[in-house]
Amino acid sequence: MVHNRLSVFRAERNLSRKDLAEQVGVNPQTIGYLERGDYAPSVELALKLAALFGVPVEQLFSLKPFAPLAASLKNQES
Amino acid sequence: MYIRSKSRPSGRQMSTPVIRGLIVGLYTLYPVGCILQLLPESWGGGTALSVAGLIAVAASLMMFAVLAGSSLQRQAQEAESELDERERADRNKAAFYEHSVFSSAVLLGLIYIMLTTDMAEAGKLDLWRPSTGDHWNAIFWGLGLLSVTLPGAVLAFGKTPPDMD
Repeated sequence: MVHNRLSVFRAERNLSRKDLAEQVGVNPQTIGYLERGDYAPSVELALKLAALFGVPVEQLFSLKPFAPLAASLKNQES
Repeated sequence: MYIRSKSRPSGRQMSTPVIRGLIVGLYTLYPVGCILQLLPESWGGGTALSVAGLIAVAASLMMFAVLAGSSLQRQAQEAESELDERERADRNKAAFYEHSVFSSAVLLGLIYIMLTTDMAEAGKLDLWRPSTGDHWNAIFWGLGLLSVTLPGAVLAFGKTPPDMD
């Protein structure tokens, strides 16, 4: 399974699924499936999404579950 | 078969329960309608049942007309270039199941006709089998409906689409 932080990045940029879908050329439902973890994107789509958010692809997608955001912030502070 | 509309290029969005209900209704009303319509008088058939059968078949065709313009039927029948990678991947999976179900249904039907014909010719058991033009007509259009709606039906009973924001 491929884990992702798509919903976090999308919320941060205040983008709707429809807006994001239009920018990467997919159906808005596909963004929903990706966020829900029901679909693993192709390399092309993963790279497009990473480029759109301006982050390396491994910050957006991972084979291991991402640490919760609160825990990551706590680690950074300490 | 997918009916494109200029006002809704992605097809009519319908909730999953509605689409599933339409598919179940189509797959139930068409065969029941045909049976009622073609039931011979010696088996209890008559004008009233024939009319009821006609209404059931007409209702199933109306359900098909609604489905033909849906976003799900778009995913099942639209040209590949019009779909994104997730839609194509899901459709390919659905096509595999659709092929298995459709070919099994046709094969079982042929086996049934072969066995009932053999038994009737041997004078053992005279079970119903298609014999008139009306019977074959009902089977032909039924298989036609099944072949164009089954990929969408497989998709409808698969993953539930995410809620849109």
